[in-house]
Amino acid sequence: MVKAERKPIEEIKDAINGYEKVLVTGCGGCVSVCLVGGQREVNELNAQLNIYLKNENIEKQLDGYTVERQCNDQFLEELEPKIDNYDCLLSMACGAGVQNLAKRFPKIPVFPVVNTVSIGIDKDIGMYEERCRACGHCVLGYTGGICPVTRCSKGLFNGPCGGTNNECCEVSQEIPCAWLDIFNRLKAQDRLDDIKKIYVPMEWHNQTPRTIIQEPYEKRYSV
Amino acid sequence: MFWKQSTTGVNTKEVKAILDEKKAKMKLSLKACAHCTLCAESCFLFMGRNKDPKYMPSYKFLNSVGVLYKKKGKVDRLDLGEMRDLIWERCVLCTRCYCPVGIDIPDMIALARRVCRSQGVYPQYERD
Repeated sequence: MVKAERKPIEEIKDAINGYEKVLVTGCGGCVSVCLVGGQREVNELNAQLNIYLKNENIEKQLDGYTVERQCNDQFLEELEPKIDNYDCLLSMACGAGVQNLAKRFPKIPVFPVVNTVSIGIDKDIGMYEERCRACGHCVLGYTGGICPVTRCSKGLFNGPCGGTNNECCEVSQEIPCAWLDIFNRLKAQDRLDDIKKIYVPMEWHNQTPRTIIQEPYEKRYSV
Repeated sequence: MFWKQSTTGVNTKEVKAILDEKKAKMKLSLKACAHCTLCAESCFLFMGRNKDPKYMPSYKFLNSVGVLYKKKGKVDRLDLGEMRDLIWERCVLCTRCYCPVGIDIPDMIALARRVCRSQGVYPQYERD
């Protein structure tokens, strides 16, 4: 799922500077699961902001409301009657949710509260590790289920660089070399032939927003 | 003697107001559900849990929104707690459930979630 972390409180405070009535909008999706943007976190942020504002003798109306998912228009409907009562929205959703909210209510400023960090896994309560960068060209099939784009600091596709050092990455002695892990896993599966082929580098440049239409729905959306 | 349910800790007026916003849709949906169970196989959780009827979309919808409607919003914390387990732990709101008569089950589940949220009842993801 998408993982995110909250922005520093100063940045959030700066964003709402000049707006009197603020609605903090939570999201019940991924950001709820990674404990950064759900209903509880909305309440926590409001409480924290209220203390800060009180200390600085600033008066604002801060309210909170959590919708099921900000990345789905259907769930934004319930915000419709509330929006006119506010000068700006703080969104606790991921980048996609913030954009959807801003698009749905274009007359009102929307500010993000969290930085969307990665697509990751839950390591432990409140601890998440990045596993995917949504590059759009999955190579896990030949790398033994270890992503070289995410795990290798250089995102290499054809084996390790010269910097691999004592099983670790040259960037840090705490980061294991992704390509060593790939090699070991494929060796254990007797699949080393998979990485003998040369793969062309990823074309990162000129990326435009990717819209996907699943095959069974192609007819439905064709013009 | 009548037994009166305690609704302490629940703002029943607020619950009622939320339900009233979608009263017509809710009423029609509850009336239209023929318990045909055709929605069941569109739920991956139902299919993945040995077809446990408690994972049927209709079960989840009838035992959340159905209860709220029947009690006209006069529910207690226990009801909401039970509802939370039902509508969050047995439903991921993937919106893929299919009803042959066109009941918008995801919308109904979302309504029940909204009611729960309004009363401070929502999932605790850090729970062990």
